[in-house]
Amino acid sequence: MTAVQLSGAGRRRGWRFRGRAWREAVSFYGFIAPWLIGFVLLSVVPLVFGLGISLTNYDGLNLDSVRFLGLQNYARALHDAEALFGISRTAVFTALYVPLALTFALFLAGLLNQDVRGRGAFRTLFYLPYVIPIGAAAWVWRLVADGNYGLLNALLHLLRPGTAVQWLANYATQVLVVFVVWTSVGGAMVILLAGLQGIPKELREAALIDGATPLRTFFAITVPLLTPVLFFQLVMNLIGALQTMVAPMLLIPQPMGFNVLPPQDNRLYMTFVYFEIFTKARFGYGTALLWILFLLVLALTLVVFATSRFWVHYEVE
Amino acid sequence: MQRSITRRLRQSTVYFFLLVAAVAFLTPVAWLLVTSLKKEVEYISWPVRFLPAVPQWANYRLAVTMGNFARYATNSAILSTAYTSLVVISSALAGFGFARHHAPGRDALFMMVLAMLMVPGMVTVIPQFMLFAQLHLTNTYWPWVLWGLSGSPFHIFLFRQFFSAIPKELEDAAEVDGCGRFRIFWQIFLPNSGPALAASAILAFNWVWGDYIYPKMFLTGANTTLAVQLVSAYADPKGNPLVTVTMAAVVLYTLPLVVLFFVAQKHIIQGIVTTGLK
Repeated sequence: MTAVQLSGAGRRRGWRFRGRAWREAVSFYGFIAPWLIGFVLLSVVPLVFGLGISLTNYDGLNLDSVRFLGLQNYARALHDAEALFGISRTAVFTALYVPLALTFALFLAGLLNQDVRGRGAFRTLFYLPYVIPIGAAAWVWRLVADGNYGLLNALLHLLRPGTAVQWLANYATQVLVVFVVWTSVGGAMVILLAGLQGIPKELREAALIDGATPLRTFFAITVPLLTPVLFFQLVMNLIGALQTMVAPMLLIPQPMGFNVLPPQDNRLYMTFVYFEIFTKARFGYGTALLWILFLLVLALTLVVFATSRFWVHYEVE
Repeated sequence: MQRSITRRLRQSTVYFFLLVAAVAFLTPVAWLLVTSLKKEVEYISWPVRFLPAVPQWANYRLAVTMGNFARYATNSAILSTAYTSLVVISSALAGFGFARHHAPGRDALFMMVLAMLMVPGMVTVIPQFMLFAQLHLTNTYWPWVLWGLSGSPFHIFLFRQFFSAIPKELEDAAEVDGCGRFRIFWQIFLPNSGPALAASAILAFNWVWGDYIYPKMFLTGANTTLAVQLVSAYADPKGNPLVTVTMAAVVLYTLPLVVLFFVAQKHIIQGIVTTGLK
């Protein structure tokens, strides 16, 4: 303090400036402190801890006999038929779900962006399943797709008496895709609708006056302008789809209870990992499987980002 | 003349698709409601009866009295409220920090917030589970308190977007008057961010109330939530499942979220849109 008082005017000014920046930085770190501490303790530490565990044979109880295995768990995953099967089922699910969900969300948003009466009511209606918690939503679809008393079979019975399909067992992945689309499409739809409403009307009107059909206008004008929003949705949907875990566990034909494996086709990668960790207590192997997923998600996200410059139109500011 | 005909035709096509989609979206929900009002023997009859002969409102009374519905509902409410109040405050603090300060390291740290939006949740949560188990924090509500205290990337992002849009003049005027940073946040920014607070609070509450997997992983027995409890069906004294009563309980479990959504849908949708667009 005394040093500042003794120095010249210019010097003092410099100090005051530094004081201000310093105070702002202190204030910044004060405001973010709760998050920053949590980020270190609840994200960084578990990530590093998990990485460490993935190099061992830890099973939850053998703390005194834990052995360092190096990359053995990772090598083992590459030869684990169940893990590889899980990856292939996750790929199938993602390839069905992501395009379907995005197209459907865009279709609904496009419809609602027209001059329709009751837009708010329709929007609410399509959004409603998004609010229903997954446990309840799973019950809804188990009722609809039930092999004995389900709505689907009841309707089928009206058309072709005597037929009953075991939807949850024999069409497990199809039902799963429909289920996840149903519960998630509302969120993407409201975002896309807001994006559509942000596009100046004049652009579309100009195209229409020039004689372009509404459909052509949609694909040549509206969709390109919407690509930044679509891109963000694509990335989030992809990440979400790759880590799908709970929905297959709940959408099973048997009574739901504890630790019932879903039908073969719905043993997605994360579902498989969950059972490895929580029913077989393979913590070391399981965390290695988690890190493999993490790396796959990261790689895929980077690939999608790399393609973005070919099809995402950002407005030049 | 021809123009108006094509216009009409287009309008009807739009309404046609909207109605088809609406029916497809609502039918499963309607089926849940109808089932919750059937007698159990009506539910297990074949061919399927679409509607109950007499709506069994008693199912709803049974749903509350048969199991320990009130106990698990209370657990869900405590957990949801505790997490929500904590996460809204700490995320608003961090959002204000990121939106309204210049400081070395700020942009790198904000990238970390965004990166955490993309890291698969289980990659951090499963090691957390092992650590919490060592600290004897599993089967307590401490994990939710800690998660709440440390904010959530999604909510931080939401607040940061919202606070960034508030005019600088407001802040400058307060600074001239000698307000400290925290008072500016507490007395000027927070009271002016009703929509962001509402969106954040409702989304956080929905998340915990609706979450199935974290309580299943972290809690057991009487401490668990309604979401976990309702996954297995109610049973009569002989052990036969009572699907219709369970469905009544499922409706009761879902109702608060639906009501909340109808009351505040403007805020919820605004919150979703804010984080999804920019």
